[in-house]
Amino acid sequence: MTEKTNLSAIEKIKQESDGLRGTIVQSLGDEITWAIREDDQALIKFHGMYQQDDRDRREERAARKLDRLYTFMIRLRLAGGFLTPEQWIATHNIAGDHSTGVIKITTRQTIQLHGIIKSHIRPTIKAFNESGLHSIATCGDINRNVLCTSNPKQSVIHDQVFHYADKISKMLMPKTRGYYEIWLDEEKITDKKQEYDPLYKDNYLPRKFKIAVVIPPNNDVDVLANDIGLIAIIENNELKGFNIAIGGGLSTTHGNPDTYARLATVIGFTPGEEQTLKAVYEIVTIQRDYGNRSDRKMARLKYTVDKYGVDWFRKEIENRTGFKLEEPRPYLFTERVDYYGWTQSYDGLWHYTVFVENGRVLDDEHVALKTALLEVAKTGKANFRFTCNQNLILSDVKAEDKDSVQEVLERFNIILHTDKTSAIRKNSMACVALNTCPLALAEAQRYLPSLISKIEPLVEKHGLVNEDIILRMTGCPNGCGRSYAAEIGFVGTALGRYNLQLGGDHEGTRLNKIYKENLDEAAILQELDALFATFKKEKINGERFGDFAMRKNLVEA
Amino acid sequence: MEKVNIETEDPANNTTMLSEAKLKVLQELVSNATIEELVWINGYLSGIISHQTVKQEVIPAKAGVNKITIVYGTESGNSKKLATTFAAKAKKKGINAKVVSLDQYRVNDLPKEEYFFPIISTQGDGEPPAAAKKFYDHIHQNGFQLNKLKYSVLALGDTSYPLFCKSGEDVDSRLQSLGGSRLLPLQKCDVDFDEDANAWFTNALQVLSSNGNAVATASPVISKKPTGKKTYSGTILTHINLNDRGSNKETYHIEIAAEDVGYKPGDSIGIIPENALATVEAIITLAGIDREKTVGYKNEPVTIHELLHKKLNIVYLPERVVKKYADIVQQDIPATRMDLLDLLRIYPVKNAAQFKDVIGMLEPITPRLYSIASSPEAHNGEVHITVARNYFDINNEIKYGLASDFLSRLNMNTGLPYYVHPNTQFRLPEEDKDIIMIGPGTGIAPFRSFIAHRDAIGASGRNWLFFGEQHFASDFLYQTEIQNWVETGVLTKVNVAFSRDQKEKVYVQHKMLQEGETFYEWLESGAYVYVCGTKDPMSIDVENTLLQIVKMQGIRSEEEAIQYLDDMKEDGRYLKDVY
Ligand code: SRM
Ligand SMILES: Cc1cc2nc3c(=O)[nH]c(=O)nc-3n(C[C@H](O)[C@H](O)[C@H](O)COP(=O)(O)OP(=O)(O)OC[C@H]3O[C@@H](n4cnc5c(N)ncnc54)[C@H](O)[C@@H]3O)c2cc1C
Ligand SMILES: Cc1cc2nc3c(=O)[nH]c(=O)nc-3n(C[C@H](O)[C@H](O)[C@H](O)COP(=O)(O)O)c2cc1C
Ligand code: SF4
Repeated sequence: MTEKTNLSAIEKIKQESDGLRGTIVQSLGDEITWAIREDDQALIKFHGMYQQDDRDRREERAARKLDRLYTFMIRLRLAGGFLTPEQWIATHNIAGDHSTGVIKITTRQTIQLHGIIKSHIRPTIKAFNESGLHSIATCGDINRNVLCTSNPKQSVIHDQVFHYADKISKMLMPKTRGYYEIWLDEEKITDKKQEYDPLYKDNYLPRKFKIAVVIPPNNDVDVLANDIGLIAIIENNELKGFNIAIGGGLSTTHGNPDTYARLATVIGFTPGEEQTLKAVYEIVTIQRDYGNRSDRKMARLKYTVDKYGVDWFRKEIENRTGFKLEEPRPYLFTERVDYYGWTQSYDGLWHYTVFVENGRVLDDEHVALKTALLEVAKTGKANFRFTCNQNLILSDVKAEDKDSVQEVLERFNIILHTDKTSAIRKNSMACVALNTCPLALAEAQRYLPSLISKIEPLVEKHGLVNEDIILRMTGCPNGCGRSYAAEIGFVGTALGRYNLQLGGDHEGTRLNKIYKENLDEAAILQELDALFATFKKEKINGERFGDFAMRKNLVEA
Repeated sequence: MEKVNIETEDPANNTTMLSEAKLKVLQELVSNATIEELVWINGYLSGIISHQTVKQEVIPAKAGVNKITIVYGTESGNSKKLATTFAAKAKKKGINAKVVSLDQYRVNDLPKEEYFFPIISTQGDGEPPAAAKKFYDHIHQNGFQLNKLKYSVLALGDTSYPLFCKSGEDVDSRLQSLGGSRLLPLQKCDVDFDEDANAWFTNALQVLSSNGNAVATASPVISKKPTGKKTYSGTILTHINLNDRGSNKETYHIEIAAEDVGYKPGDSIGIIPENALATVEAIITLAGIDREKTVGYKNEPVTIHELLHKKLNIVYLPERVVKKYADIVQQDIPATRMDLLDLLRIYPVKNAAQFKDVIGMLEPITPRLYSIASSPEAHNGEVHITVARNYFDINNEIKYGLASDFLSRLNMNTGLPYYVHPNTQFRLPEEDKDIIMIGPGTGIAPFRSFIAHRDAIGASGRNWLFFGEQHFASDFLYQTEIQNWVETGVLTKVNVAFSRDQKEKVYVQHKMLQEGETFYEWLESGAYVYVCGTKDPMSIDVENTLLQIVKMQGIRSEEEAIQYLDDMKEDGRYLKDVY
C-alpha cells in the first residue's frame, strides 16, 4: 500500500477539507482580493474550477500597486460530450453574462469558460444547474470527464457504447454534498454519514484520473492516452464487451528523467456491462490504495502500473473483482479523425462536423461562429456534440430538418469556413496556454493559427496539401493538446521556443520523440521545409508522415 | 522700471467704508503708483493703522474686564490653537475666558455678549470655514442689534490667495454694522501668524485690563513684508498612475524627494501649479507684448512670460476679475468665469500697454493642497501624494483641472516646489487607541500615511479601513499595499465598496451600515473616526450613516445620536479632512 510517510501537502488539504468544503465560503467573502485562500485553490478544482490570472497583465498591474487580475475557469462535466440545443443556448448566455464570452471546446470533449470573477461563480453555477449542467469533479484528484467516440456515424450501436461513458462517469462521482451547499444554497447536511464515500474516502485519488471509451477503427478520443481506456469490441453490430487498457498518460517534466509519456497497456477483456463497470471501479480503488501520494509528479496510474507491473495489476484487479479478465480481443485502429461536413448515421440521422480552430467558439473577423451556432440551436433541430480534437458536431438532425440547418450554416459561411480550411489546419490542435494557464512556458492556441499560416505554403510548395498530418502544440510538457501523440508535435520550452517531436503514428498507437530542441519560429519553418521535401521525395506509397519519420530513424525507436 | 497697477482686492468688494469721492482718490493714487510706491504706501498705511491714528473709533473697555468669550472658526486647527493660547494668557490675567468653536456656538447668545473675540480663518475662495458657516450666515442677516457687544477679530489667512483674510474682514465689518464696537482694529495674519497673533493678544489683554487709553499704549504691530511659508524644493522620484487600463480615472502616486522637510501624518502639502506653456504663448501672441519684458511683481523683477507661466492665474478667472477686464477694455462682458485667452480672443486689448493693465489686475495662481500619503517614520526623506487628475466636460470638450493636470504630467526628476500645510485637526491619537479610517478615492492618501506610520512605530491600536471607488479591477488604489498590511495584521479590518461593479451602486456608507454592529462596538470602546475625501456628497452621506449606526445600534433618538457625534467631535474623536 502507499507509504503514509511524507504525504504531499495536497493530501493533508483533502483530508481536512470537510468533504471538499474547506473555507471556500469564507474565501468568497474576502473583499480585498479576487483570489481565494491557498488551500481552497486546491479544493475548488474538485468543484470544476481553477483560479487563474491574466498573465499578460502581471507586470504592469504590479507597477500600479494592483493585485493580479484573478478570475476562475470552469469546466463542465459532459460524459461523451453532449449538449441539447437548449443547453447550448444557456451556455451561450452564461458565457456572455459571466465569462470572457469565448466558449472553449477542450481536448476532452467538454467546454470551459474563462475569466469568471469570484463574485460571478455562484450565478454561473446556478445558471448551469438550471439547465441540468454541472462541473463537479471535472478537475482535481478524481475521475474526470469520461470520453466516448463522438460521431454517431461511427457505429450502429454508437448510442449503446456512448451510454457507458455516462454510467462510468456517474459510478465514479464523489458523494460529498459540498458543491450543492456552497454554490446552490442546499441545506447543510447534519448527518455526515449520508455523504460517506466508500470509493474516495476522505483523501480521494493520488492524482487526476481519466477514462475514455472508443469505437475502433477511429481512435478519435486518443484512448491510449488515458488512465483507463475501454476499446469497444463489436462483432456483427453487437457489443461484445471491452478490451481494457491501463496506465496511459502523456505528461512529462522538462529536466525530470523519471517522468515520461506512456500509452495505456491492454491487459484484458471484460464481457458485458456489470463486469466492465466492476473492473473499472476496482482499477480506481487500486490506484487509490497504491498510487504515490508523496510525489505528485509520480502519482499518475501509469507510474503505479510500472512500479508494480502489469501482471501484478491484473491479478489485483481479479482479486478485487472476483472474476478473471479474459484475453484481449483483436481490434484495429486505422484513423484518428473528425468527419468534417455532413455525415449520416445508420439510423438515418445527419451530423455536421464544424471546424473550430483550437476549440475556441467566438465571433471573429473571419466567421461569426458563435452567432451561427446560436442560430442553429434556436432551430432546436440539432444536438451539440464535442470531439476530442476540439471540434463540434451539430448532430442527430432529421433528414427533413437538414436543409434548414444547412441554410443557417450557409448564411454564416460556416460551410465555406469548414470546407476551405486546409488539411494541415484541420488536423491540428493546441492547448490553451497563455494568457490564462499558470503552467504555460510558451504560447499555444494564441500562436498556432499564425504558425500554421506559415506552414501551409510549405505544404503546398511540396505538394502535400492532401496529406493528413496530425500536428499538435502545447505550451508546456504537460501535453494537454496531446502533442506527444502527434506526427508533428510542438512542446513549449520557453516563450517563442519549442521542442519539435516526430515519429508518432497517425492512429495514436505510437508516441513521438524529441527531434530538435528549443526551436524558434524561423528554425521550425526551416526544419519542416526540409522534412517535407524529403517526405515528398522518399515516402513509400500511402506512407504516413509519422511512419516515414520512424522508418528514416529521424528519432530513435 | 515699468509702472503697473497691482491690486490684490476688488475695491467694490470692500469699501463700504469709503465714500465715492475718497474711493476715487485712492484708486487714482494706487493705479498710477509703481510697485515700490505701492509697497511703501502699504507699509505706511498699516503703520498708521497699528498706531491707531485712523478715524476708526475704538472705544475703551471698562477697567478690569473679567469675563470674555473667544470663538474660533477653523478648518485645519490654527485658529483653534490661537484661541486656546489666548484663553490661557487671559486666564493668567485673572480673566474668565470661555472658548467655543463657532459650530458649537449658540448664536442667540450673541446679543448677551459683552467682550467677544472671534478668531477665524478664510477658506475656499474667500469663504469662511465650514464650522463657521452657521455663525457667518447668522450675522449677515438683519433685524437684530448688538449694542452691548465690544469685540476684536483676529483673521487668519494666506497672502497667496487673492481674498486675503476675507472672512475675518467680513465678520469685523459686519459686527460693527450690527452695532458692535471695536476694542481693537481687525488683525490680519499671514501663514506665519505667531508674531502678529501674539501682538494682538498683548494689545487685547491690555485693552481689557486698562481703563481706556490702553489702545494708545498698545505695542504697535510693526507691519512687515509677509515672509510667507517655507517653500521646499522637491524632486519627483516616482510617478505612477494607480488606475489600470480601462478605468474612468487617472490617479497618480507621486513620490517627492524632500531632504529636511518636517511634517506629521495628517498634514498636506501646498503646490502652486504652472500654467500650460501653449496657453501662455497664445496669450503673448494675442497681446502682442514682449515676452522678455520684466515688470515688478511682489517686489521682484519678473518677465511677462514668467509671470504668465508661473505666477498669475489665467484660467477660469473669477467674475470679479472678468469685471475688471471689462473695465480695462471698456466693453460689457457677461459676468461669468472665463479663461484669459478667451477674453483676449473675444474682447481683444487695444495694445500692449493696455495688456499691462490686464496683467496688473490678474490674481496670483492659488496653491492647491494634497494630503501627504507618506510617513516620516516609514518613508524617510520623501513626501508622497495621491493626485486624482481632475477632469470635467465643457460642452463636450474634456478639460482638466489646473494643478492636478500639471502634477499628472510631471516627468521623473523634475523639480517641484511645495510647502507643508499642517493640519493639527487631523492627527493620529495615542498609539494604543483604535482608529476607523473612511477614505474613498484620494481620501485614502492620509490613511496610507497613518497606517504606514502606525506600522513603522508598532502602534498597538487596531486599524480599520473603509475604501471605495468605481471598479475593483482598475481602481483599487494601493491594493497590494493594503493586502500586505492585512497579512501582517497592521490593518485589523478592511471594507471596500466598488460602486459600479454591480447593478445597484454600493458606497462606503453602505459598507459601514453592513458592519453597523461591529462599527458601534469600536465607537463604544473609544475608537477614533477619520473621514477624508470629497466633502459633497461623500462626507455628508458618511456622517448621516454614522448617525444612523449610533441610532440603530445604540438605540438612541435622533437628538441623542447627534449629541453622541457632537461629543465625539468635542473629544476630538470624529475628525474630517474633506474637500
Ligand atoms: C483545457 C485543456 C487543454 C485544451 O486546450 O483543451 C487543459 C488545460 C489545462 N490543463 Fe490539461 N488540459 C486538457 C487536457 C489535458 C490532457 C489531454 C487528455 O487528457 O486527453 C492532458 C494529457 C493527458 C494526461 O493527463 O496525461 C493534460 C495534462 C495536464 C497536466 C499533466 C498531468 C500529469 O499527469 O502530470 C496538467 C498539470 C497537472 O495536472 O499538474 C494539466 C493542467 C491543466 C491546466 C488546468 C493548468 C493548471 O493545472 O492550472 C490547464 C488549464 C488551462 C486553461 O487556462 O484552460 N493538464 N491535460 C484540456 C481540458 C480537458 C478536459 O476537458 O478535462
Ligand atoms: C485639505 C485638502 C486636501 C486635499 N487632498 C487632495 C488629495 O490628496 N488628492 C487630490 O487629488 N486632491 C486633493 N485635494 C483637492 C486638490 O487640492 C484640488 O482641489 C484638486 O486637485 C483640483 O484642483 P485643480 O487645480 O486640478 O482643479 P481646478 O483647476 O482648481 O478646478 C477645480 C474645479 O473647478 C471647475 N473648473 C476649473 N476650470 C474650469 C473651466 N475652465 N471651466 C469650467 N469649470 C472649471 C471644475 O469643476 C473643476 O473640477 C485636497 C484639497 C484640500 C483642501
Ligand atoms: C483650500 C484653502 C483655501 C484657502 N483660501 C484662502 C483665501 O481665500 N484667503 C485667505 O486669506 N486664506 C486662504 N486660505 C489659507 C488659510 O486661511 C490659512 O491656511 C489658515 O492658516 C488656516 O487656518 P485654520 O487652520 O484655522 O483653518 C486657504 C486655505 C485652504 C486650505
Ligand atoms: S499543456 Fe501546459 S500550457 Fe498547455 S494548457 Fe496544459 S498545462 Fe497549460
